This record gives sequence, C-alpha cells and structure tokens, in this order.
Amino acid sequence: MTKPVERIMVYLDGSEGSILAMRLAVVLADFMGAELYALSIVNTRALSDLVQSHIFLEAEREEYRKELFDDGARYLNHAVEMGRKKNIFVKGVNVSGSIAMGIKEKVDELGIDLLVMGPPPRIRSRRDALFDELESAMRTVDCSVFIARNEERIEKLYREL
Amino acid sequence: MSLIELIDKRTVKVPLEARDKQGVLRELVNLLASATDKVSDPEALYRAVLDREALGSTGLSEGIAVPHGKTNAVRNVCLAIGVAPEGIAFDATDGKPSRLFFLIAASADKAGPHIAALADIARLAQSGALIKALVRARDASELIAILQGD
Repeated sequence: MTKPVERIMVYLDGSEGSILAMRLAVVLADFMGAELYALSIVNTRALSDLVQSHIFLEAEREEYRKELFDDGARYLNHAVEMGRKKNIFVKGVNVSGSIAMGIKEKVDELGIDLLVMGPPPRIRSRRDALFDELESAMRTVDCSVFIARNEERIEKLYREL
Repeated sequence: MSLIELIDKRTVKVPLEARDKQGVLRELVNLLASATDKVSDPEALYRAVLDREALGSTGLSEGIAVPHGKTNAVRNVCLAIGVAPEGIAFDATDGKPSRLFFLIAASADKAGPHIAALADIARLAQSGALIKALVRARDASELIAILQGD
C-alpha cells in the first residue's frame, strides 16, 4: 500500500505560526515516516510592486532583497536544527518570487503530499482576505493542507518526540 | 504581517494638526511614541524617516504618502495613520498635495513584516475610491471601519 503521506512541506516566514507549523510537521514526519521540506521565499514580487508604486527606490529593493534572503536562510537553519534535535532530516529550500506561486510550484516540483501551515491571523478585511498570499496558496495547491492550531498540544507533542 | 494587524486606534489621527511635510512626519512619530511602547527613541525614528525622504519623496499619486524608515529605535513593526483633509505639500509624484499618510517603521530585523505591510498599502493605493473614502473619514474609528470593511 502506498504511504498516504510521503513528503511534507512547511512554508516558513519567521512568524510564530510558521514555527508552530514546523514543530507539528516534525512530529508528523516522524509519525508518518515522511520526508520533510522547509521552504523560505524571498518575496521579490512584493519588492517589485513597491518599486513600481514608487514607495521604494531601487536601492531599497536591493537592500531589502538581501535582508529577506538572509532572514530566509536563518529561518531554514532554525528549521533544520528543530528537526535535528528530533532525528528528523529537514531539507531547506530557499527561492525567490511571489509567496503563493512559490509554494504552489514547489509543491508540484517536489511532489509534496501535505503542506503544513500556521494559523492565519484572526482580524482580516475583505481586501486582506482577497490578497493574502498564504490563503491563496492554501486554496490553490495541489495537495492536502494541514493548519497547525492548539499551540499547547503541538508543543507537548514536539517535546515528547 | 498585514496592514490590518498593525492598525491601532491610538495611532490614527484625524485630522492632523501639522501644516507642512516636516510637521506631519513629526506629528506621526510623536503619536507612535506617545501612544505605544514600540518607540524607544522618537528623535532617531524621525531622523530615519526624514533621511529616507531626502532620497526621494514617498508622496504617491492620489493624495497618499507612505513615509517609512528602518531603525532600531522601534520595536518590531509599527504604523501611524494620519489624515490632512486640506492637503499638505509633500513633493508627491503627481505634484498634488497629500492627504492620507501611512507612516511605517520597522526594526532592522523585521524586513519581512515591513515589506508585507508596505505591499498592502501599495495595493490600497491603487484604489482611488478607497483613498477618497479614507480622506473623508470623520475620525479614527470611521477610518479603521472603512479599512476593515474594504
């Protein structure tokens, strides 16, 4: 019988929600015997939008691109370390582009079966909901999506692993 | 971090008292510093925003301006919103007075949330009707309701 979940991916943006999702993913990867990927995306699409709208200067785009790349590398290192502590190998992937498209493309390219995400913020406007990249990814990815909730329980599961 | 998550009624001022560019920046910085505990050094924040403006105005078309700065004088990411219905000369790209101001400041290690909030404003700036509605807001509560309901 084919394993129901062979490859899990977590999108990391440095938020508490994405760290929680990473902890849950480590637990799930161990339980399911699945490979685990951590994805970080340098949001160059947003940087381009800011330059086009004249909010950013070209120099700011480059400055922030480097910072976002460095931040992403730091998140991935943290994720790898979280896995290592529980004897789970985490493959870090750092790409550039739009968040929604980047997640969707990597799900397809890596053959991801399960995407684990942090909980979305509670207070939203209609405009926010429409443009939210994570919600867009959740709606369009070609795999199952798991939303990490209940921090206390997830922390307990991770600790006990 | 979306724009909506950053909105705090205490840091929305309708109308602004200032009548010139430096005055608006100072008023918004002071608002952030007095209403929240996110600003450790208001003068450093004011300087950071002013230095950025010196490189090129953040006054966009349609009467919106997005002064911003990166400085460790603030904790995390913070936002102040102000409305000047009469308009302020802000060296905007279309040469017209600016009426709606979003001042965003972030610490050096918060590039991601800073970009996300600015990107939200960039999208908002594309809606002339929304900007007009925000400028017509009578007070902070009404402005926030318009942003949340949009």
